[in-house]
Amino acid sequence: MTAIEKTIDSTLESACQSKTLVCDGNEAAAWGVALSRPDVIAVYPITPQSSLVEYVSQFVAEGIIDAELMNVEGEHSVLSALQGAALAGARTYTATCGPGLAFMFEPYIRTPGLRLPIVASLVTRDTLTPQCVWGGHQDAMLVKEAGWIQMYCETVQEVLDTTVMAYRIGEHPDVMLPVNVNSDGNYLSYGVTGISLPAAPLVDAFLGEKNVNWHAALDPERPMAIDPLTGGAGGPGPKMFVNYRKGQTDAMQNALRVIEETHKDWGDRIGRHYSPLVEEYRLADADYAIVTIGSMTGAAKDAVDEARDRGEAVGLIKVKTFRPFPVAAINRALNKVKAIGVVDRSVNFGWNCGPLYQETIAAAQKLQRFMPSASFIGGLAGADITVEHFSEVIEDTAKLLKGHSYDEPVWINRND
Amino acid sequence: MPHCKYLIIGSSHAALEAVSAIRMQDTEGSLTMITRDSHLPYSPTVLPYVVSGRSKADNVALRDQSYFEQHAVEFVTNRSLSSIEPDCNTAVLDNGDRWQYEKLLLATGASPIIPPIPGLDKVKHLVLRTLEDAVALRDASQKAKKAIVLGAGLVGMHGAENLAEAGLEVTIIEMQTQVLPGYFDPQAAQMIQSAFDQHGINMKMGHKAVSISPQSSDQQNTGCRVELDSGETLDADLLLVSTGVRPIFDYCSGSHLQTDQGILVDNHMSTNQKNIWAAGDVAQAKDFYSDTKVTTGILPDAVEQGRIAGMAMSDDPSLKNYSGGVPINTYTFYGQQAISVGTSDSSSGPLNGEPTDKLEIELTVDSDKGYFQKIIFKDNRLQGISGINAALDPGIMWQLILRRIDLGAVKKEFVAQPLETGRRLMSGTWR
Amino acid sequence: MGIGYNTITFNQDKCDGCGDCMLACAQAKAGSDDIVHSRIQILTTDQPSGDPQASDSGAIELAMCRQCGDPKCVSNCPAAALTKNATTGTIDWHADKCVNCLLCTVGCAFGGITYNAEIGHVTKCDSCDGNPACVKVCPKGALEYNTSGSIYNRISDKDDLFVPGLSACQGCNSELLIRHTLRNVGTNVVVATPPGCIPGMGTVGYNGKTGTKVPVFHPLLTNTASMLAGIKKQYNRVGRDVTMLALAGDGGVGDVGFQSLSGAAERNEQQLFMCVDNEGYMNTGMQSSGSTPAGSWTSTTPVGKEMQGKRTDAKNMAKIMMMHNCEYVATASLAFMDDYYEKLDKAIAASKHGFAYLHVYAPCPTGWRFPAADTIEVCRKQVESNFVTLWDFTPEQGLRFTRSTDNPIKMAEYLKQIGKYRHLSEAQVEHLQRRVNDQVRSLKAFEQLTEVS
Repeated sequence: MTAIEKTIDSTLESACQSKTLVCDGNEAAAWGVALSRPDVIAVYPITPQSSLVEYVSQFVAEGIIDAELMNVEGEHSVLSALQGAALAGARTYTATCGPGLAFMFEPYIRTPGLRLPIVASLVTRDTLTPQCVWGGHQDAMLVKEAGWIQMYCETVQEVLDTTVMAYRIGEHPDVMLPVNVNSDGNYLSYGVTGISLPAAPLVDAFLGEKNVNWHAALDPERPMAIDPLTGGAGGPGPKMFVNYRKGQTDAMQNALRVIEETHKDWGDRIGRHYSPLVEEYRLADADYAIVTIGSMTGAAKDAVDEARDRGEAVGLIKVKTFRPFPVAAINRALNKVKAIGVVDRSVNFGWNCGPLYQETIAAAQKLQRFMPSASFIGGLAGADITVEHFSEVIEDTAKLLKGHSYDEPVWINRND
Repeated sequence: MPHCKYLIIGSSHAALEAVSAIRMQDTEGSLTMITRDSHLPYSPTVLPYVVSGRSKADNVALRDQSYFEQHAVEFVTNRSLSSIEPDCNTAVLDNGDRWQYEKLLLATGASPIIPPIPGLDKVKHLVLRTLEDAVALRDASQKAKKAIVLGAGLVGMHGAENLAEAGLEVTIIEMQTQVLPGYFDPQAAQMIQSAFDQHGINMKMGHKAVSISPQSSDQQNTGCRVELDSGETLDADLLLVSTGVRPIFDYCSGSHLQTDQGILVDNHMSTNQKNIWAAGDVAQAKDFYSDTKVTTGILPDAVEQGRIAGMAMSDDPSLKNYSGGVPINTYTFYGQQAISVGTSDSSSGPLNGEPTDKLEIELTVDSDKGYFQKIIFKDNRLQGISGINAALDPGIMWQLILRRIDLGAVKKEFVAQPLETGRRLMSGTWR
Repeated sequence: MGIGYNTITFNQDKCDGCGDCMLACAQAKAGSDDIVHSRIQILTTDQPSGDPQASDSGAIELAMCRQCGDPKCVSNCPAAALTKNATTGTIDWHADKCVNCLLCTVGCAFGGITYNAEIGHVTKCDSCDGNPACVKVCPKGALEYNTSGSIYNRISDKDDLFVPGLSACQGCNSELLIRHTLRNVGTNVVVATPPGCIPGMGTVGYNGKTGTKVPVFHPLLTNTASMLAGIKKQYNRVGRDVTMLALAGDGGVGDVGFQSLSGAAERNEQQLFMCVDNEGYMNTGMQSSGSTPAGSWTSTTPVGKEMQGKRTDAKNMAKIMMMHNCEYVATASLAFMDDYYEKLDKAIAASKHGFAYLHVYAPCPTGWRFPAADTIEVCRKQVESNFVTLWDFTPEQGLRFTRSTDNPIKMAEYLKQIGKYRHLSEAQVEHLQRRVNDQVRSLKAFEQLTEVS
């Protein structure tokens, strides 16, 4: 359009040629943001997300990202400003975690109902208290019923790739929902590795034309009221409210299909394929499996490989998309095994287990067969789950096949 | 048959005020104003100034044509009312047109009284009630040399002054012993009269014209000879008859409208016939001072009555009772101002017969400076105030009378400074 | 509908009878220092009034033309020498038509048109063609040239952008305010109305229907300024100049809304943020807020044996916003509409460059317990008692009072109209008086800084 925009375009293009670079997950996320060409970014720093927004700010300063950068006074305003921007038609981005996410909660729970396709990275962090600043999934798990799409990344490369894909998923007309791209605090945020940066034109072609506020908008050229009082016990209210809510749950189910399509297209165009919902690792001939989520999966796969070497018929099921929960995909995997051990980096206080464990066995219920299972909880507040830990998990899971059962979760780092 | 919601006969102050009151309440109801006159509305009060040349005849209209268009008023000229048929809401005009009305206002005013002086009908004489009269009188004054004015009322006095200023030799003949009887008391009248004396006007006070004849020498029959009751004869080539006016309501005959001196009305200007109101000089309405009904011929009273009639006709919810006619006169002569609000003379009019111990009269006169001030109180209430070259706000005085304000506590101050005291009372009472 | 006009107003409580106005008038109209030529007459005598019902005997009074809407002087004139000017509202006197009959003076019950013997005709106030000499010289601010009337004319030509029949309480000040405000702001706007009376009366609508003819939305009670900031950023990005307007209650401004407000002000976001201060959470049943004055009855600061209304003072949000050094900060009251309009215009203009904050005092008949018909009177006394003050601020200009705080009416005059203060003890009234005095003193100190610089 304008000369300035062309200059900035070329800044992004020259920065994002197909190339390899060495970086951590926070920088990888920032590159994903740059390639997605957002319009408005609002930031507020919090450990372990801080370097992510620093990278983003630096990119804005350098012209790699051409966006309005809002340095606001807290996470509550971060998401509020992005809601406003999205209602005016902007592609938006932010990142947060832990206490920041908790402070953001009021606008956070409202975003899906407004059907705003905001992308927010959650650089996951355990929650207070005890006071801690390290990784864990407790923050993300606390907001799993808010209505956001949540995808957990396994690698630094996947952080970049998923950040870009998140926009196409969230902005899909059948979805129109906000997306959290979850990366494990410390392990992915600060873990440095070589990654491949896709060329900007490839990503532009992948994302297609930007059209964010085609449905609800605050625009004097087509005035409408956003969010009139709706519901109550009489008149058109109850039916209308149900329609809005059901529209949201339908969109979540649509998202399962769109996530799969998007990952496939990304793989076709960029050359990197990911299991969009659930990954099956060495499962075909397994008797039992461990279930993982996020960056722990790398160590878990090593442990599975070692166990296979020992002759154990163990496989691995990794959940990438946690919201919406991919019931069908997980059941396809569960159908191949006789017992599972589910490893969580957070807890479910109500059921005395991990939340992924609870969700997995809830899905298995649909298989109409008994699935012996165990809940493992580890990696809280930045604790390491090592290959050795996973070997123990495999050992404990194998006991299920011999009739052993667990009344309580197994606390992985309890004796570290 | 023409039809309208509001039919108004007459086009001077009462009629015009009624129109604006109606239009405040009802902006659309069809409204027709019919006048016997051939001009846009004007005030009879302005006519002496047309005679003197101070006002131009084509510059005295109280409303212009656009007013009638803007307010959706049909304005019909050169038509007078012949009769009324209240039973069928019909007004019949002189040309036979029958107008059907829903509400009718009679504001037909008054016409000059022509006294029954033998021979008056045989000579050319002038009156001053219409614009045509004024133009004729002005034309005549430019040709004539000697004028006789019958009657020393406001019209006669104004006329005499104008004629004298135009260079004529002027004689005023007045039956009563003072000028402006009924407007000012004898003492004030004397001060006014002396100004006329000083300006060379021949004042024949306390005399009647007993006969009038044409001047035989005059071929065109413009001149006349007037014989007084003293036997004296006076010649003139201009005769102005200004012996008062009487309401025009000849059209009432056969209509069962109750009439006396004028058309009798109640406190809402309503006549005894349904859907008919009367206001202005033609109406005989409540007197302020007594229970009788009077015709006043007072412009501010006509305005007040017209307003009330219009409000009543348009069912204005803020309609209030007419508080009663109060005599009010302002008179400017030879650069001096005479003002009278309320009763000016306790020996005549409504206060006549009041026990004198109830009345308090405060008189301040400085003949050398031409200053006169007379204040009449009854029970500490103002009854009337009149003055010559005295500073006062007539409108405020009128309110003090109407509201019957107790002036007991400020009487001394009021007598000394009626202007300032009146204003202060105003601020504290009805601002 | 009728037309409103500008008019000269007189506040007798402020007048000290100096007579400067009369001198200015005589000079302007007759080139003379003799006040006999003045068309405004101040009456200063302290002799008692004769009327027992006249409560303010001895007060300074005024005689001048009221420029009546239904002028009797005009009706009484036989020569068409007086006319009501439909454009200016003044009653014009035409020398060429006047015949000196003085009947006009009979019609006037106010001493507004009088005969001047020295010049030989009647004279009356002509408002100096809209620039009255008397008002300009009045050292006490007792005379003001009130332009509300013409403002109403101007505004009536503009569309009312809220739907008819909003479900506000009878006598609601806020509805009046928002309708006038949006007429002035126009259609190129996005309106945020956080939860409270304003959306409660239906501005954002119910069940899929809107109450406003421009884009309008419910932010959270907490994030109005942030959401507007985000919207504005995107419109700036695409090169469209759209006004951002917040219509927020005092809770959404000073309590839970404060963080986002303060942040937006600090960042100088381009928006017009209006606080409609009804001193509490009126929409939810009259609970206490940070804006609730000490002593007020509310449903969460009730009156009983142990508690007599709110125990702590209100915070002065406008002053707090001034300390943010916003592009524009002002306080306003709907009893002073012309003042409000002037400030609204300035605030709209300022919001194009940065953060503009308007704090409008909004007495609430339902929550404060006073008759619905008295709203504007309560507004007026709130200002006249200095309970609230009218001023504005820009970083360049500093603080400037737009209405003098000198000679306030007694605090009790204000408080006695309002049910929520009915229980106040003498000590509580004294406390409020002290508090008000402190506020005025503090603001005056800021004003002095302005004068120094």
